Formats: sequence, structure tokens, C-alpha cells
Amino acid sequence: MTRLVASNVSKQYGAVRALTDGNIEIEGGRVTALLGANGSGKSTLGKIITGLVRPDSGELTLDGERVTIRSPKDARRLGITAVYQELSLVPHMSVAHNIWLGQEPMRRGGIDQKEMRERSGELLELFSASFSTRVTPTMRVSDLTPGERQIIEILKAMAWRPRILILDEATASLDGRQVERLFELVAQWREEGMGLAFVSHRMEEIARVADRAVVLRNGDTVGEVDVATTSEAQLVQMMTGGATAPHTTRQRAASGEKLLEVEGLSSGRVRDINLSVAPGELVGIGGLQGQGQASLLLALFGAEPYRGTIRIAGKRVNLSTPRRAMREGVAYVPGDRGAEGLLPVRSILENLQLPSWHRYGLLLRQGKAQADAMRAVDELNIKIGDIEDPVRTLSGGNAQKVVIGKWLLRKPRVLLLNDPTKGIDVGAKAEFYALLERLRDAGTAILFNSSDDEELLALCQKVIVLQDGQLRAVLEGEALTHENLVAASMGTAANGSAGRSADSGGRP
Amino acid sequence: MTAINRVRRVIVSPTVIALLLSVVLFLIGGVIQPDFLNAAQALNIVRLAAFLGIIAAGQTLVIISGGEGIDLSAGAVVTLGAILTFMIGAGQDSNIPLALAAVLGAGLLVGVVNGLGIIFLRIPPLVMTLGMTGVIQGTILAMTQGAIPGRTPPGLAGFINGRFLGLPGVIYLWLALGIIMWLLLERTPYGKQLFAVGVNRRTARLSGVNVPLVVIATYALSGMLAAFGGFVLLGFTQRVFLDLGGSYLFPSIAAVVVGGTVLAGGRGSYTGTMAGALVLTMVESLLRAMRLHEAYQMITFGVILVLLLSIYGRQRRNQ
Ligand SMILES: Nc1ncnc2c1ncn2[C@@H]1O[C@H](COP(=O)(O)OP(=O)(O)OP(=O)(O)O)[C@@H](O)[C@H]1O
Ligand SMILES: [Mg+2]
Repeated sequence: MTRLVASNVSKQYGAVRALTDGNIEIEGGRVTALLGANGSGKSTLGKIITGLVRPDSGELTLDGERVTIRSPKDARRLGITAVYQELSLVPHMSVAHNIWLGQEPMRRGGIDQKEMRERSGELLELFSASFSTRVTPTMRVSDLTPGERQIIEILKAMAWRPRILILDEATASLDGRQVERLFELVAQWREEGMGLAFVSHRMEEIARVADRAVVLRNGDTVGEVDVATTSEAQLVQMMTGGATAPHTTRQRAASGEKLLEVEGLSSGRVRDINLSVAPGELVGIGGLQGQGQASLLLALFGAEPYRGTIRIAGKRVNLSTPRRAMREGVAYVPGDRGAEGLLPVRSILENLQLPSWHRYGLLLRQGKAQADAMRAVDELNIKIGDIEDPVRTLSGGNAQKVVIGKWLLRKPRVLLLNDPTKGIDVGAKAEFYALLERLRDAGTAILFNSSDDEELLALCQKVIVLQDGQLRAVLEGEALTHENLVAASMGTAANGSAGRSADSGGRP
Repeated sequence: MTAINRVRRVIVSPTVIALLLSVVLFLIGGVIQPDFLNAAQALNIVRLAAFLGIIAAGQTLVIISGGEGIDLSAGAVVTLGAILTFMIGAGQDSNIPLALAAVLGAGLLVGVVNGLGIIFLRIPPLVMTLGMTGVIQGTILAMTQGAIPGRTPPGLAGFINGRFLGLPGVIYLWLALGIIMWLLLERTPYGKQLFAVGVNRRTARLSGVNVPLVVIATYALSGMLAAFGGFVLLGFTQRVFLDLGGSYLFPSIAAVVVGGTVLAGGRGSYTGTMAGALVLTMVESLLRAMRLHEAYQMITFGVILVLLLSIYGRQRRNQ
């Protein structure tokens, strides 16, 4: 069996110690979870194993022999591939070209397009049942949902036929059905002798898929345990070094007038949506991803043309651009931090303040802007070196916090969230939920799309389910259970007990 | 820790690298031609660099704005600015304000049209501004019929070339522009939004940036700055001809890129461009000091421009 061991690996970036003493063993026929809080060094360790990052010290052995891996190419030659946390796809290229990038099937000196399409088709087949709409080899990657892109990324790694595969938060943007399918495949690959390393902040996934867990804390491997015999609380304890109490409260909606009212809204992928959110209410959007959730939120943020009526605090508004929506107090945390949320090469400060610069005068009061940004960094506990560092130096979870932070700085009335906890660690999630509750209790109307059913159930009074662009169910109170949510998202919950239908439940 | 980081950031910045490069080139000049190495020569090179630097200011903004942004009309606008100053100024200092207003107005008009075409007609910047070059040249030709009447106002020439506390006026002008450009890029909402637009227009839009407005304003500023460059340049040459600004176009783009502004957009600085202008002027002076035949000077300079652009142009957006 294949066996890759990384021992005493370290890596320093300027003043930041990304990894001090990283150790992991990835063995064929086994799934090894790599756990740790945001910024603990998981991705860095993964990148060192695949040669994307050169370690300062430490060694790698493969099947007992010491190896030097200088580049991802070296790694692939040894049968090691990774799906990195930040996607690497080329948006304007086709699915097939992306999957086979760097190893295109050739014929007579040119790329064998037909062969490439066919082989892509076979790979896509693996996930076909979990796509909401058909994904074909010739589609452009930019037309796919974040979840679908993530799957293409996984297939791209599989196209190299690896013996060792590292999945760095590959499930963060997948919905329930897609995760399900991935886990079936992972089980199968493991049977075939592949060694997998699996990084995720969703603890229930760890319990389901992993055999062993290696825990990193502040750049050190602090332990390796058997997943079956270790409780979630113990794992979290190892990750944080202390106890965290992720508590959340579902609260009854404040009754009375509505802050956000939507009538007959059609836009992009959604049709005829009616819904309303009261001040102090947190409404979830659940179910499978790619059913028009992004379209709905983008329309409410003025970023996509729509038909229908939107009222904010009783006033009919015309949200033709994001700027107008922002003027009405709407904020939108996008679902794809790479393409929509962040400017990777610009500083943390500039990213946090981009929507808010006009508040600091024509000649910017830089000191004030910096102080305000620092407050967001502290409130969200973002692990940074210097606020002037570019955002691309942050770990995935910390970058995601910047996306959230830049909108919190604006103190919105209506907060639209598109999968905001993607890649955020357990402790930070609990803090984020607490923050949402504070905002909610202060009267913010929150619309919260999530690919993670657990968090919707923990946080929301009401969850709406979209299917194929239409509002299929509104789950509230007693009816808001995991079974009903799953049933509704599969489109099998039209009966009264599982939730009221869109027509009766969705009206303001 | 923070302080060390900041120091490190300054030391490895493209601006500092370009400055060092120009010093090294100067020293090489001294090796080739010992009488190259003196203070008067250095000052003269800085003075010449000032013209290139001023002309490259607008180009810096346009390149930062991304979307394959480039302003190829800058050369023709420089010529236009110089000719307008020459004609309206007509040798009278009292005409300078009117000439300056006309110059800035003409530059603004050209820039706005560029911006509108690029944003609303979705014409690629390269095509739009190249087409604009033709339009401007044609207009100049039609306007002047080849013979350009007028004269440089003596006050303008006096200020640009005259010495104040030992330095030519144009150097003060350049430094003032440097400060204004730094403020514009680093300390105004426009500057912050410009960088955002350059990195990713969708992210910028979703953060509330009025992307079309920022882009159009950028081309407008570029037009005005190039026209102002023509105004200043006239003070130096004191005569006009149809290709006056054209020879500055590629060096100005090269100065921007050597100064660390990334061709893909979203990153860069005007201090970098200033240093880049020094490098290019230094190269040109060096070639002159080598006393090559003028034709070979031009060829060598052209080759060096291509080399510099391809070396610097290769750095990708995300390293
Ligand atoms: N290129 C870089 N330059 C500077 N610092 C970096 C760079 N890459 C990572 N870091 C820092 O190294 C630390 C570890 O980052 P890493 O990405 O490995 O964390 P992680 O465990 O994957 O976190 P997450 O769960 O948030 O993805 C972080 O503090 C991060 O800011
Ligand atoms: Mg990571």
C-alpha cells in the first residue's frame, strides 16, 4: 500500500509562521482527516506535499523512501494530486479543457478534441446525478455554480489518476446531494487503494468519511486519533486547545411590519418569488444548490435585472444597481469569494473598506478607515499579519471572514448572505452565528442561503426551499426539521405536513 | 514586526528596484564614457525624464484600470496639446490660461469619447484608442493644413526651462504632479475604486463601485494629462510638428510597466512610473553617450523597449 509521510515540516512567510511542526501520514486505503482552526496550516501542509510550496525544513517519504517534491508536476509524477481550497479553473475555458489542462489527449500534433470530450463526459458521469442541470464537457466553467466548479476541480484531480489525493475543503461549496455522491466515490476510491487526505470544517463530514484524524493547532500537529473512537467535542477540543460552546438560538420572529417584501419576482433563474422578512428575522434558503438561490439574492442586491416588486420598509424600491441597493441599506455577501468577493492582490484594508470609502471624505482619512477596519478584524477574529498585506496571503477561512467583514462595516438593514460560512472553522462559525444573532436582535432582516442544512436548522425561524427557480416550500416552526428539509429539496414534500406550499406561505 | 514588514515592502517595491536600475545604468554610463558621470548630466537626465514622466501619468491610470486598458491615443493627444498651446498662445503670455483651458478641454473630450466607446460600445481599448489616434491626426491636419501658425508663449518656455534654486521648472512641476497622483491613487475614493476595477470588475460592482463611471473618468483623466503633457512639452521644444508626441507613446507605456504597474491591471503606482521614466531616459542618454549612429540608437532603444515590455509584461496577475 502507498504510504506518504510528512514529518516535522515548517514554513514561514515573512513574519508569519504558517507551519511550525507539521506531521501527517497518508496511507493507501484510508481517509485521513486533517483538522484545525482557520490559519492553523492545513492548506500549507497540503501545498508542501504537492510541491506548490517549498518547506523551510522537514522531510517527505513515499513508501519509505525520502522524496523531494519541487513542483506539482513532480508530485503528479509520483501519483500525488490535490484539490486546492482556492479554485484553479480558467473561467472562460470549457469544462473539458479545464479538466485536461496540462495533459490534453493528443492526436497528430494537436489536441484530440473528441477524445477529450468523451473522457470528460465519462468523468462527469460520476457526478451526473448530483448536478441540478446537465453539465456537459463543452460548457464554459464561468456558467457553472460554485458547487459544480468544485466538482470539476475534483474531476480534474482525478484525471491524473492519483494514488494520493488531498481534498482541501472540497465540500465547502457542495450541497447535501453532492457531498453524498462525493462520499460514495471516496469510499470506492479508498477500496481501490487510494490514500486520501480530507480537510473540512464540517465536523459531521469528518465523522462520516474519515478513518483517522490529524489535528493541527497553530502550525503544530498536536495529535492523531482514530475517528470512530473520538467524539466531536474531543476533536474540537484538540483543535482549539480549549472548549468552545457553539450555542445558537432560534428565536421567534418579531411580529409586525415587514422590512423586506418581495412580490412576483422573476430574474435569471428564478420565477415568481414571493417572500418577506421582518426586522429581526433570519430567514434561511435551503435545499440543493444551483436552484436559483444566487439569482434571487443577486436580484435583491440590484446586481441582476428583475421583474416584480421589491419593498424595503414599506417603500417600493427600484434596485437597478448594487449601489442603489446599498443606499437602501442592503448588503450582499457573495458565495464565490474568488470571483465576486475579494481583490486578492489588494490589501486587507482595501478589501474591507471597498464598499465604504466614500464615508472617509474626498481626501481619505486613512487613519480612521484603518481603525474601523481593525475593529472588524478584531470582531471577526481574523488572523492577519498586517492590515496592509494582500488578501491572498490569508488562509481560506480568514479570507472568507474578510468578505463578511466588509459588509458588516456598513451596518446593513437588510443582509443577504450566500453561503457565508464556507471554509470557516467551528469556533469561528459559532462566533459568526452569535454575531448574526446580535444583528438579528438589533433589527436587521437577514436572508441566509446555505449549502449546510445543519446551520439553517440551528439558526433560522423559517427556511424557504427553492427548486428549479421556484419557491417550493416554506418550512416554519414544527415543520422545520431535517427530514422535511431534505424531502422538500428533493421535491417530494408537497404535502401539508412537511410545510406549506409556496402560495400560501410565501405571501407577506 | 509590522514595521519590519513595511520596510521590507518598500525595499522590494518595483519603484525602488527601478530607481536602483537607473543608478546602475548611470554608473555603467560612467564606465563607457567617463565624462558621462557628473551632476549636470544627472540633472539633465532627470529634466528629460520629467517630460516622459508627465506624459506617462495618464497611461498609468489607464493601465491600472485593467480590462486590457491602454491609451494609444496619448501620443497624438500630446501633439494636439502642444499645437493648441502653440496656436492659441501665439507668443503672448496673457494667452496661457486660455490655451491651458483649451488643452485640458480637448484632452477631456478625447478621453471621454475613448471611455464611452470602450464602455458602451465595448470596443477594445487598443482598437478604440488607436482609432482615436487617427481621428486626432486627421483633425490636426485638417485644422492646420500642414502649416501651423503660432508661437510659444515666452512665459511658458521660461518656466519650463528656467532654473529656480538650481533646478529647472519642469522638475518642480513633475514633483507636484507626483504628489497629486499619489494622493489621487492612494488617498481618494476614486483611487481605491480604480484599483478594484482593475483587479476584478465584477467584485468591484458587487462592492458598490460604479464601474462605467470609473473607467470613463480614467480615460478622461488620461486624455487631460496627455494634453497637459503636450502643453509642458511645448515649453521645452518651443516648436511643433505632427509627430511631436508620437515618439513618447511607447516609452511612456514602458515607463509605466518598468515602474511595476501590472499590464493586467489592479496594481501599480505613479512613483513607480516616475522611476520607470528615469530608467528609460537613462537608457536613451546612455545610447547617446555611446555615440552610436542615430539610426542604431533608435533601433537599439526599440529593441530595449520590446525586451522590457516582454519581461515585465509576463508577470501574471497573481504572480
Ligand atoms: N502566501 C502566503 N503569504 C503569507 N502568509 C501566508 C501565505 N499563505 C498562508 N499564509 C499564512 O499561513 C497561515 C496558515 O495558512 P493556511 O492556509 O495553511 O491555513 P489553513 O489551516 O488552511 O486555514 P483555513 O482553514 O482558513 O483554510 C495563515 O496565518 C496564513 O495567513
Ligand atoms: Mg486552508
